[in-house]
Amino acid sequence: MLKMLAICNSVIADAVRRKVVWVVVVFAALLAVAAPALPSYGVGVMAPVYREVAIALMWTAALTVGLALATTRIPAEVERRTVFNVISRDVRRWQYVVGTWLGMVVVLGVVLAAFAAVTIGVGAFEFGEVMWRLFEGAFGVWLEVSVIMSLALALSCQFGAITSAVGGLAFAFIGHSVVGLFNLPEGVRPPWYWPTLDVFNIVNPVAHGSGYGLTYAIAMVVAFIAWSALWLLTGSLIFWRRDL
Amino acid sequence: MTVQETEGARAEKLAVPAILVEHARKDYGRAAGGRREAVADVSIVVSSGAIHGLLGPNGAGKTTTLKMLLGLVRPSGGRFEILGVEAHRSGARRRLGFLPEQPYFPTQLTAGEAMRLYGRLAGLSRATIAEQTSELLDRVGLDGRQKTLLSKFSRGMLQRLGLAQALLGSPEVLVLDEPASGLDPVGQRDVRNLMVELKNAGATILLSSHQLSEVEAISDEVTILNRGRVAARGHIDTLLNVAGETSVTARGTGELPVLARDLIKDVAVNGATQVFSVADENVRAVVDALDDGGWRVVSLAPKRASLEDYFSTLLEGAEDEPGAQRGGGA
Repeated sequence: MLKMLAICNSVIADAVRRKVVWVVVVFAALLAVAAPALPSYGVGVMAPVYREVAIALMWTAALTVGLALATTRIPAEVERRTVFNVISRDVRRWQYVVGTWLGMVVVLGVVLAAFAAVTIGVGAFEFGEVMWRLFEGAFGVWLEVSVIMSLALALSCQFGAITSAVGGLAFAFIGHSVVGLFNLPEGVRPPWYWPTLDVFNIVNPVAHGSGYGLTYAIAMVVAFIAWSALWLLTGSLIFWRRDL
Repeated sequence: MTVQETEGARAEKLAVPAILVEHARKDYGRAAGGRREAVADVSIVVSSGAIHGLLGPNGAGKTTTLKMLLGLVRPSGGRFEILGVEAHRSGARRRLGFLPEQPYFPTQLTAGEAMRLYGRLAGLSRATIAEQTSELLDRVGLDGRQKTLLSKFSRGMLQRLGLAQALLGSPEVLVLDEPASGLDPVGQRDVRNLMVELKNAGATILLSSHQLSEVEAISDEVTILNRGRVAARGHIDTLLNVAGETSVTARGTGELPVLARDLIKDVAVNGATQVFSVADENVRAVVDALDDGGWRVVSLAPKRASLEDYFSTLLEGAEDEPGAQRGGGA
């Protein structure tokens, strides 16, 4: 566990010094500040639409940061051979993969928490309402993007950044459109083995309702653990077989 | 623990090789031009407390063999042990330090942060890491550089840091791949001295190097690889001593006596000092002749080839007999 934490810390230190993380965060925060000025929000539902836009911005920013981190770290470490100093030190390959992912999950969590705080502040200023539910939204986005990162990271154990990013985006797309993609009738759920990220659809309860509640949060966490474990196990196996 | 028990434990430690590589094989599968066998059959035994040189031309399989030992490359076959524990087992590499060829580090870290990272990966406590970081950076000539970003380090400084991180946790076994690479002559000498110090402190070193003079100066044993196989191995004296010949070193300015000239096989001149190669049975006659001719005989020693000459001869021979195993001392 200590070794994974050491790897996790090094990923965090690396991410803090990477420009892409800051550029995305600042850009998304600027958009959040500008969001209330956007026209055609609808009739008398300004605050809910603002929350919807805020969640969409969070998701986009998180996915950009997440994929930028997850698709480049391992290929760069292998290419620069910095991984030699880690693996040769009695660190199991799965520890390296999981430690790397944990670091990225922490970075993503901090980015999303900061972003949610900005959007809540802007919302309070514009609409006179403190929208704590946006933290719930950020939590859902965090879990979902962490799952997508775990797949992208698993792919990056063998492939380059572009292939891994395409894989991550495809998973996100299929995960949210599997019902429509395969023309399933209304109310019919896809088989268990079809990738679906529908459990992380939290826009409606957060933007237009009163939140998703504890039971739903637990269901999301269970799905997050299951998906992440699957992809991290796959990534560890791929990396274990790889010659460095 | 009694004295006998202590000696028994020491003897047991010495009996177990620090590093054992047995019939290592690495096949890179089907490449464009067919199967690529990087390592065909390599066995290396590194005795505890020794400096063992691993030599070979480019592509001989040195780095791949080391990588298999260190778990960086999956072997196609063979057995790998570190201090009696199978290398792939958890904990086997805990007592091992590794310096990769041209070490690379995350350049966004400072030297101190890098040492902290590798110290934690080695399972050291914070206090030990802090203590060893300043001591080791000082030892490799990087004192006062703890807070410098690695992106500002020169190649030689990165090499020194590589050595420092390999020494974290005072490992009993060190695997050093080209440790003097990128260093200036003073740095190379420092590294050589450091290796000797470590050996004297009881560490075992497996040293892969292209610098034959370095290997010759400090190694107890060597293994020479060629085309993925062991071309020669043994104690360095056994390999380099030329059987049946003696080196006679003498000083003089006059003509060589005729008798001596007839019996001398080879001469190396270094100012007024000359080193003659003489067949063992003729040594007395040559020494007497030199003495009579007014020369002063300085020393007599078994003739020893330089590692460079031995290496070249061996590889030239291997060109004629591909895959043939030669040598075979210890």
